[in-house]
Amino acid sequence: MELRDYPLLGEKAYWDTLENGLTVAVIPRTGFTRKIAYFVTDFGAIHRHFKLDGKEYALPAGTAHFLEHKLFDMPDIDVSARFAALGAIPNAFTSYDMTAYYFSCTENFNENLSLLLKFVSTPYFTEESVAKERDIIGHEIDMVADTPDSKLFENLMAQMYRQHEVRQPILGTRESLEEITPQVLQLCHRAFYQPSNMLLCVVGDVAPEEVREIACAVLPNEAPVPVEKLPSEETSLSCENAYGESAMEVAMPMFQLGFKCPPVGQGPDAVLREIIGDLAAEALFGESSALYLQLYQQGIIDGSFGGGFETIDGMALFTVSGDSDTPLQVQQALLEQASRIAQQGIPPEDFARLKRSALGRRIKALDSFDSVAFRTCAYHLSRYDYFRFPELYRQVTAGQVQEFIQKAVDPAHMSMWVIHPLQKEAM
Amino acid sequence: MVVTIPLFPQITLRCITDTRFKQNCLSVQFIRPMRRQETAYNALLPAVLLRGTEKYPDLQKITLHLDNLYGASAGALVRRVGDYQTTGLYCSFLQDRYTLEQDAILAPMLDFIRQLLLNPVTELGVFRTDYLESEKKNLISTVESQRNDKRAYANAQLLRHMCSDDAFGLSRLGEAQDIAAITAQSLWQHYKKVLLESPVNLFYVGAAQPGQVADLLRPVFADLQRQPVALPPQTGFSDPPAGYKLEQMEVAQGKLCVGYTSEITLRDSRFAAMQVANVMFGGGMSSKLFLNAREKLNLCYDIGSGYYGSKGIVTVCAGIAFEKETQVCQEIDRQLEALCQGDFTEEELLSAKKELASQLQSVSDSPAAVENYYSTAACSGLGRTPQQYLQQVEQVTAQQVAQAAQTLQKHTVYFLRGAV
Repeated sequence: MELRDYPLLGEKAYWDTLENGLTVAVIPRTGFTRKIAYFVTDFGAIHRHFKLDGKEYALPAGTAHFLEHKLFDMPDIDVSARFAALGAIPNAFTSYDMTAYYFSCTENFNENLSLLLKFVSTPYFTEESVAKERDIIGHEIDMVADTPDSKLFENLMAQMYRQHEVRQPILGTRESLEEITPQVLQLCHRAFYQPSNMLLCVVGDVAPEEVREIACAVLPNEAPVPVEKLPSEETSLSCENAYGESAMEVAMPMFQLGFKCPPVGQGPDAVLREIIGDLAAEALFGESSALYLQLYQQGIIDGSFGGGFETIDGMALFTVSGDSDTPLQVQQALLEQASRIAQQGIPPEDFARLKRSALGRRIKALDSFDSVAFRTCAYHLSRYDYFRFPELYRQVTAGQVQEFIQKAVDPAHMSMWVIHPLQKEAM
Repeated sequence: MVVTIPLFPQITLRCITDTRFKQNCLSVQFIRPMRRQETAYNALLPAVLLRGTEKYPDLQKITLHLDNLYGASAGALVRRVGDYQTTGLYCSFLQDRYTLEQDAILAPMLDFIRQLLLNPVTELGVFRTDYLESEKKNLISTVESQRNDKRAYANAQLLRHMCSDDAFGLSRLGEAQDIAAITAQSLWQHYKKVLLESPVNLFYVGAAQPGQVADLLRPVFADLQRQPVALPPQTGFSDPPAGYKLEQMEVAQGKLCVGYTSEITLRDSRFAAMQVANVMFGGGMSSKLFLNAREKLNLCYDIGSGYYGSKGIVTVCAGIAFEKETQVCQEIDRQLEALCQGDFTEEELLSAKKELASQLQSVSDSPAAVENYYSTAACSGLGRTPQQYLQQVEQVTAQQVAQAAQTLQKHTVYFLRGAV
């Protein structure tokens, strides 16, 4: 395996690509007890159109997430009980552009790893179990319906995006769940759960070669089947509706404001662009920004105010959200501050401080196993090596951040959603 | 290994030196008895202290200073530990050796903590009114926003009903009306009382040696006038009125919560057995509630149980369809009964013990988990290490689990649901 060394961060990583196309990354944590493994596929909720064997397919909304639930079923063993007997806690999540399966343990690491690889690579779906899962996911959809942060984001995406699949909720809808059948799940598994479309990332005090050997032994060694994702892209950056609102059981009004940005693509330039976007967020509305301090001191925002630059396959969004009685006032203040920065730029001293702070926080985050594993996977899917982030921070200039704000904060690309508390009838 | 260094009477520093981490964590906790007349004060105090010091008199100067210390963070820390409430700060900051130019962070950060605690910016000898009012508004909004998270809200409501006569039923962050009534004068008096009377627990985890940390922290408290007052002992559960409570909101999903009481608290020799019983009952993906209510009967997506050892309370919480209340209640009863009857396999028992073991062994791998575990253990007066705890868990037998489960008495059912 290839050993990569990052002395400034005190990190090492072992990388390899197996014959079947699987990428393996092992990040050693000598002297630690905990071990975690993430097994992820480059397939998430937005990947609903693809070509396989020369044929085009369209998936019902919510398929990637449904598949994530159903992969825990195996014909001969109870996966959760088996992990529990081995002392591991397994879990999984589906995001817009990735699905991850993972476990955390302190003992029996090799057995747990085999089990993780085995269950994710074994499709087993019956009509009965799929029907049962519709009920369970239906309950999950109801839960999300009562979760204001999730509804805020979903509503904003549905309002902002006309073509990109981010406009559909990750879980799908009760109606779209009806269209998901064992055949649909089987097809997706064949297309997107081939080792060549996946990454295994382990963090902990383990032997890298053993991880590699287990992956070779458990996973199929078939030639990859060519699959082509049909891109989900938004042709226009303008937003037809700049404002939408709804009401829920919340204590005070909550808003999310978004600016549609062009997708960043992949590779070092894409990751550099993400970092520029994050620094732009810090400069414009981060906790030490003039805007944050002004609005906080005026009582217009509170500690819930925050945001960043979100990138999903085929789209990018500069966004900020929080609780406020006067969301439109926040929006107005943000536009004004952005045009000030666009004109005047960021003083070099301020910029150096922002970079230092952002870099310090990123290095602190390396203490979290889950953060390291997740980011290693996400960056790899963007074709970049996570531990090289300090180089990118060094490259970024104040001018780039200024230019980002100039372009991104454009009222024509802007949209906001507000959730109000329900109007109680007078007693 | 925890090194305990008494800095002054009732001011105790506990340190774990660990060079594996990239950050240091330091918590400062003033320990107060949990009581209605001061929960809001204890919750508000650190938020106001974080607004300005003599040297860094506003938010901007504070955040700029923290940015310069490589994104160091200082936040309010308000915990509930049984019958106690703690008020103070939680800080995390980069180890000096990971800075770009080998800058020092540890010493300036500890000095900054001193300023935050002891040199607040004042106006007419008390806290600035504008800072106070702004933080009151924020805290009230945080308290009121607890209803946004329906599961946490339902569980808190259940505990509030169960513990209406007990400190455990008090809101950790205070009640909105109590916060609204606080004045700059009254908060200042409370602040002086906290500094004068409260036992102080300091906890440090990071690469520095305990002696060095103690040397840096001693001057922080050296000039402080102190008359420490002993805390009342922690108590078990006081006998509260039982009952059924229905609350209506406009929600898509109901939240059913069932609360049980037990004589087994964390001071009881059967504590480990009760913990194992709770994990088997509703602690995760291999628990009886998850496997039966969710996987077998499809009654819910989300179901689980929690054990509050300081009071001997177990709660179950499930997100369900409104009309399934009776069916889910019956299923919860059935699964508890199975546990009481010893109707479980050796594998279920072993799995639960392993899950707890894994959690305890993992404590040492994260600075935040280390701080939380040891600070809470010290504050509750037990001070068990994860290893000592682990030994007790490993010895739990099937019979002990059943016996622990048998002590659970159903106390209150709370149901949050939409209109019919």
